[in-house]
Amino acid sequence: MHPKPTQVRPIQRMAQAVSKCSAEASLYGKCILADYNSVHKDMCAKEFLKLKDCYLAASKGGK
Amino acid sequence: MTIFWMRPPKHALFCDARPNLDLNHQSQGNALRLRPTSRRMRPYLPTACRPNNVQFAARSSIQQTARRTYAFQASGTPSFQVFNRRTKWLQKERSGANATQSREVGYLKDEMAKRVSERLLDIKRNFPRTLDLGANSCNIARALIGPNPDNDPENPSSTPLPPLASKISELVAADSSSTLLYRDADTLPDGEVGEGMKLTRQVLGDEETLPFEPQSFDLVLSSLSMHWINDLPGYLAQINNVLKPDCPFIGAMLGGDTLFELRTSLQLAEQERKGGISPHVSPLADVRDVGGLLQRVGFKMLTVDVEDLIVDYPDTFALMQDLQAMGESNAILGREMGAISRDVLLANEAIYRALHGNEDGTIPATFRIIHMIGWRESPDQPKPLPRGTGEINMKDFFEKK
Repeated sequence: MHPKPTQVRPIQRMAQAVSKCSAEASLYGKCILADYNSVHKDMCAKEFLKLKDCYLAASKGGK
Repeated sequence: MTIFWMRPPKHALFCDARPNLDLNHQSQGNALRLRPTSRRMRPYLPTACRPNNVQFAARSSIQQTARRTYAFQASGTPSFQVFNRRTKWLQKERSGANATQSREVGYLKDEMAKRVSERLLDIKRNFPRTLDLGANSCNIARALIGPNPDNDPENPSSTPLPPLASKISELVAADSSSTLLYRDADTLPDGEVGEGMKLTRQVLGDEETLPFEPQSFDLVLSSLSMHWINDLPGYLAQINNVLKPDCPFIGAMLGGDTLFELRTSLQLAEQERKGGISPHVSPLADVRDVGGLLQRVGFKMLTVDVEDLIVDYPDTFALMQDLQAMGESNAILGREMGAISRDVLLANEAIYRALHGNEDGTIPATFRIIHMIGWRESPDQPKPLPRGTGEINMKDFFEKK
């Protein structure tokens, strides 16, 4: 029922992959912070896609 | 129930129950359609419209079994349902079932239990029967049998004071989740646990309705559980009711700006990724609300104060995992079901760091704890003097100085 201590939860794998993309993450964060009072959908889509590409690459490399 | 269709008398407004059907209306197609020309459909007829003989017949047969309710009888104050109690119970059960993990994340509740029980030092009194309401994993019982917080660590040679448990004869630890409540039953069994304190665990079927006798406790403690109560005024009123006169209630709950960092960054992330937000962090009571609530349910000599605990985490995933392991995940009724999508989690991590992150790469999470002390009313309690009885004008007093 519960994951064994040796088992890695998917969320932990995700955390590891995201930690390799700090440059892209901070770019995306800056884009949001530039105008966080009027955030709308896909305001920072470009930056987010870069972050996501990096995350996907990192999560594949981790396996 | 039978609805009596009645022939509408002329000029009767309220009894116009039968829609007039315009059979001659030809719609655009070939099919003949029935269209009601009158929109005043009233399927629930007022009593005046019913034939008298039917009404009497129905009364004599129904009255013995069915209880009639009246529209003008209000069913008490409506209470808002904010949290899904079953979800919360399941989360607590899961937390208790994974004992090792839930002990690892006990830091917040253990710390708060210590700070709540520390307040007993200020009351020079013994408490024969004490209730720990929302006990989680008996954190307060563990804090009470721990070393006395007044012991001077700089001067170990002085006679150590006995643990706070010596002031209490019986501690009833009550919680809705039995797995979490009995998590540490092997090291902290029911019965005598030290310094003459007897521990009794009680599983509550419904944590918002207390099963205790009125005026049966000399002290009620509550640490980090009241933020999941739907009907806080009713809950506090029940606490007041189970206390003996002139006995204190000492509580601590999460409130105000708790987890505001997570709240704001998740909102921004969802707004940007999905174009809308759903609640992920509970609505919480504010300090002002708590003072007002305690006063409203009749507690006297109130003390309300606030402290912020800021815990640093390596990343947002660690924070959310810890909250889950504590059994403190989201249980709002109107929440979006299922897990948060990966896109939002990814965006949230980046925004949290940019908006609130520490310089050393960790992220802070604020837990704002509202402490409250209230006393059950008693005639021999000190009371404030009535208005207008002051003899010294404060203005004169300060100006002379």
